[in-house]
Amino acid sequence: MAEYDLTTKIAHFLDRHLVFPLLEFLSVKEIYNEHELLHGKLDLLSDTNMVDFAMDVYRNLFPDKEVPSSLRGKRTEVVAQLKQLQSETEPIVKFRQEYLDTLYRYAKFQYECGNYSGAAENALNSLWGKLASEILMQNWEAAMEDLTRLRETIDNNTVSSPLQSLQQRTWLIHWSLFVFFNHPKGRDNIIELFLYQPQYLNAIQTMCPHILRYLTTAVITNKDVRKRRQVLKDLVKVIQQESYTYKDPITEFVECLYVNFDFDSAQKKLRECEAVLVNDFFLVACLEDFIENARLFIFETFCRIHQCISISMLADKLNMTPEEAERWIVNLIRNARLDAKIDSKLGHVVMGNNAISPYQQVIEKTKSLSFRSQMLAMNIEKKQSHANRNEVKAAEHLSFFYLISSLFVLSPVVYTHK
Amino acid sequence: HILIFYTVSDKQNRIKLINHNYLDLLLSDDEEDTKRVVRSAKDKRFEELTNLIKTIRNAMKIRDMAKCLEEFEQLCRAFLKSKTIMDKEGVPQFYIRLLADLEDYLNQLWEDKEGKKKMNKNNAKALSTLRQKIRKYNKDFETEIASYKEVQSCSPDAFTSSSGSDDDDDEGITAKSLLKKKPQEEEKKAPEASKFLKGAADEESESEDDEESEDWGSDSVDSGSESEDNEGAAASLAVVFLKKYDSRRKKHKKKERLEEEADEEAEAEEGGWEKVKGGAPMVKEKPKMFAKGTEINSAVVVKKLTEILQARGKKGTDRAAQIELLHALAGISNENNLGEGILIKIKFNIIASLYDYNPNLAAFMKPDMWKKCLECIDELMDILFANSNIFIGENIAEDSENLAISDQPFRVRGCILTLVERMDEEFTKIMQNTDPHSQEYVDNLKDEGRVCGIIDRLLQYLETKGSTEEVCRVYLRRIMHTYYKFDYKAHRRSLGLQGETKSEQDQEESEGEDSAVIMDRLCKFIYAKDRTDRIRTCAILCHIYHHALHSRWFQARDLMLMSHLQDNIQHADPPVQILYNRTMVQLGICAFRQGMIKDAHNALLDIQSSGRAKELLGQGLLMRNMQERNAEQEKIEKRRQVPFHMHINLELLECVYLVSAMLLEIPYMAAHEFDARRRMISKQFHHQLRVGERQPLLGPPESMREHVVAASKAMKMGDWRTCHSFIINEKMNSKVWDLFPETQCVREMLVRKIQEESLRTYLFTYSSVYDSISMETLSEMFELDLPTVHSIISKMIINEELMASLDQPTQTVVMHRTEPTSLQNMALQLAEKLGGLVENNERVFDLKQGVYGGYFNRDQRGGYQQKQGYHRGGYEHLSVTSKLLFTLFCGGSSQNALSLSSSKQLPSVDMKSVFLVWLVKLNVCVFLCLWLL
Repeated sequence: MAEYDLTTKIAHFLDRHLVFPLLEFLSVKEIYNEHELLHGKLDLLSDTNMVDFAMDVYRNLFPDKEVPSSLRGKRTEVVAQLKQLQSETEPIVKFRQEYLDTLYRYAKFQYECGNYSGAAENALNSLWGKLASEILMQNWEAAMEDLTRLRETIDNNTVSSPLQSLQQRTWLIHWSLFVFFNHPKGRDNIIELFLYQPQYLNAIQTMCPHILRYLTTAVITNKDVRKRRQVLKDLVKVIQQESYTYKDPITEFVECLYVNFDFDSAQKKLRECEAVLVNDFFLVACLEDFIENARLFIFETFCRIHQCISISMLADKLNMTPEEAERWIVNLIRNARLDAKIDSKLGHVVMGNNAISPYQQVIEKTKSLSFRSQMLAMNIEKKQSHANRNEVKAAEHLSFFYLISSLFVLSPVVYTHK
Repeated sequence: HILIFYTVSDKQNRIKLINHNYLDLLLSDDEEDTKRVVRSAKDKRFEELTNLIKTIRNAMKIRDMAKCLEEFEQLCRAFLKSKTIMDKEGVPQFYIRLLADLEDYLNQLWEDKEGKKKMNKNNAKALSTLRQKIRKYNKDFETEIASYKEVQSCSPDAFTSSSGSDDDDDEGITAKSLLKKKPQEEEKKAPEASKFLKGAADEESESEDDEESEDWGSDSVDSGSESEDNEGAAASLAVVFLKKYDSRRKKHKKKERLEEEADEEAEAEEGGWEKVKGGAPMVKEKPKMFAKGTEINSAVVVKKLTEILQARGKKGTDRAAQIELLHALAGISNENNLGEGILIKIKFNIIASLYDYNPNLAAFMKPDMWKKCLECIDELMDILFANSNIFIGENIAEDSENLAISDQPFRVRGCILTLVERMDEEFTKIMQNTDPHSQEYVDNLKDEGRVCGIIDRLLQYLETKGSTEEVCRVYLRRIMHTYYKFDYKAHRRSLGLQGETKSEQDQEESEGEDSAVIMDRLCKFIYAKDRTDRIRTCAILCHIYHHALHSRWFQARDLMLMSHLQDNIQHADPPVQILYNRTMVQLGICAFRQGMIKDAHNALLDIQSSGRAKELLGQGLLMRNMQERNAEQEKIEKRRQVPFHMHINLELLECVYLVSAMLLEIPYMAAHEFDARRRMISKQFHHQLRVGERQPLLGPPESMREHVVAASKAMKMGDWRTCHSFIINEKMNSKVWDLFPETQCVREMLVRKIQEESLRTYLFTYSSVYDSISMETLSEMFELDLPTVHSIISKMIINEELMASLDQPTQTVVMHRTEPTSLQNMALQLAEKLGGLVENNERVFDLKQGVYGGYFNRDQRGGYQQKQGYHRGGYEHLSVTSKLLFTLFCGGSSQNALSLSSSKQLPSVDMKSVFLVWLVKLNVCVFLCLWLL
């Protein structure tokens, strides 16, 4: 499953500290060699001040060796520094300008040490730091707030060069994954941000097309049915455009279903998707949702194309037993999301015909005409009477128009009833 | 650059020369030179004016009013330009004189009714405009003209009466004016004055003609001294001349001759003046370089060099001889081991004078010159590579040059980059001017390798020594020689056919870098470092072209989109626009090869729809009448042409376009057979179809277009086999398809596309006769596999193009049979038209009122503004049947209302009545619709 793993790609755009959860997750999933993972962790830790953690990892990695003295030395150093900063900050009861700097340093140091809660408590100048802390604290509400604030700062920043902003946006996109897939409203926001903000969409297209996986998942698992069709259309466009740079089972699933209408391979892809989702740190939570919605998508598209479907085939396509499938369809029909009947003798689902007759079309088209013309006439009348100040005449005409228009409104109705 | 640089150095040379008073080679050049330095802006302006005046007078003589008008406008402009000088000096007399004369002359012509009738239309028109113009214009100079006329009334009258040659009016006037002109001109214009004085001196010494006087000025020492005398006397010119006048008046017998001469002079005036100035030293008259026994050192050689360069750019200098001289000088300096510094300097000058050999910008170098030039540059590069202690640059001042051998590094003024750039341009010029179908062209093209070699060497040189700007420029040159070539070696390598290379040379070459890698490296450098927008734009375009040529469609597309070139390319200069057009076309062809028909069509649409693809791609001029383009423009356009070996095959281009249009248009036409709103996707394609239909007798197709038309007809019937045989056959292969590098893939793609689109067309066209159709049958008919058929049909159903649904258990397509009958269709169209008309009315009212519309339109606004193009004059679009219906049921007066409403002229007075009729009619129409159903 390692071929679809994005951890290495994503890690490029994350802070060291944010990578740890990912690595933890990977070690649980056991995709990679445990030994290599630990090595990686140790490398990561070497530049931070999380000495205790590093020593633990070291012991895990080389159980037979003693912890090197450099680490020990560093530990005492770090502890001393922490003490010193603490003692510096303690006497500050009132906030004074010159102390703010020290405070900041202290907070930063705290963060470096892995003491995230401490860092977040202080009003940090660095929004990034705060965001990272909130993410690692799993404080999603606050993280979401920070995210919007950070986004505003980046978007409103006119000083930095386009390249810098692109870089920052890419970082933001990656960091926000933590928030979006944990916050309850995250999946709406992710679509809004990634798909409908041209700057962010551009950033994804140029820097990190692999984010499309998360975007696609978010779209598929999105609850809002009404918006979904339009969103899907836009997404398909993007996926097609980027198909030469990035492809994974999830995007391919969408492509199969909405571009090629190839239900068999869509089904195949869906199975692959399952494996990918399970192994993805961010998406593992929405696995159920995804499968359910994907099934619905397949079925919906199927129904739109077909007039008559056999239940057994459908069950096969949906990855269910026939009984399950039948129950599922019955539920759909009962919830009025589907205009269909089940022919249980043949084991078929028969769709309702929903074509519009030409009669109806004509009526639709001419329905508002009379009223609109009448309104227009009245407006002209009004204008003229306004100009002429001839009120008597106007009233006369008005009544005439009224008659004609009522005739108008009634006549189609009469004819249709006929 | 090179031109500017050299004129500057020329001037410096000249000034230096004057300082040193170095005269032994130049005969009378110092006098001329001092004059040239003295000539101020004022003189230049005045000369310009007098030239114009001269042409006007000529035109007056032959009664060419059109010419007169044109010149007069130019004169006014020139006068405006020299406004500042005029402010200082006052309006020159000759100008006033012309104005007055012209006005008189025009009035005279105007009075002459007979003559006016005889005039052709153009002339008569010009006459009246000119007359009005000059009347208006002369108002500004009223006082001057009046005073002029006063003066004129006394002296010339005396003259004309005495001469008695007043028969011809025109001549009289010109002669008069010319006589009059002399004194004033001399007041203003010292050099010309001297010339005139010479002329006068001529007369006095009773020499035969004017020509001699010119020779005098430059040749004989006597006249030189005399002219000096005259110049000395220039201060009291007026007096001198007045005297002359008097003396002339006494000599009545001379008058007639004088008149003739004056005329002659008027014509020869400009030429004569030029020649005096161009009395250049004849270098070849001195075959020996140095006097015997002169010690040859670098100082002497430099002196000699400057001497030779003096003659540069002057009339009468034998340019070939000059080149020879420089060569000889190079030889001498080489013999005497004067060091590389001098050698380089001489080489620079040799190359420059080689370029100078052709004075005309449009003319191209002769083959031997070109060979010499290449050799010279090669040698120059050799020297530069061999000696790393030479600094060359444009900004090294002449004084700070270090040419002699010493401990310090050499410093030489000159820019090798501009020389090479010029060489490259010369090469393009040669290619442009050679017949592309001759052996000569092939021979010339062989030099391309050398040109590339030189550019490569320069690139290496500049990479170590040049500034980033220079590197960018030379990179662009390199790119320009790379981007249009298909890299067959890389292509073969990617196919894994390396072993097949035959000769050693081939092997050697194939080891070089892929052109893609080179392009990437060079272009990226330019993107990062370039400061001028133009180089970067060119580099991007070339990069895209190269990507597209090698079928890297996605990279090419992304680069095009990211560069945002499409937004502002119209502000670029024509050569860049031509490059852009070439790139777009290549992009389109690339998309076609990849099977992206729609993209291909979109990319090619702009170029093809104009019908001027040839011109837009810089591959030839279209025949146009002279009004749109005069000779000058034609010359400019010719210079922009792309050399033949870089051409994009126009037939291929058109074929690709037409085939992609066919693949898009035929199914679309089938789907929208009854749709009133049907729009053409490609006008060009429809035009071809119509041409095909118009033919009385249809033979088997011959040309590429006929093939495509025949194929389209077959596809319309859903007959993919015939369509296929028309598109892909021997003839088309040799004409078009074999021109692609991966021709087999393209053909396979085409077959597949034809099958798919034919299937779609078939379904659209014949769905009304089927109740249901098995997918298996379809897949057999069109030789497509079942999943593909399924996918195509599903797409059509989802997009609601096909009113049908699939029956899964039996694998058939079941038609819904909801396609409206033709009557129903008509009714639907009618309903739609009505909607359109109502919308139209509302919009008209909106425009009048600006307030109304809050009711229904606000939300629909976006919708119908897009359709606006269609709705405008929607009435005209009504099909014949619905028109008939309208007239039948709505009567005559409603016609009136309709046309009123559709032509957006809502009269405010009887608007009411019109609307009453309108309402009634609308009602009837709605009834009609329902009744029909």
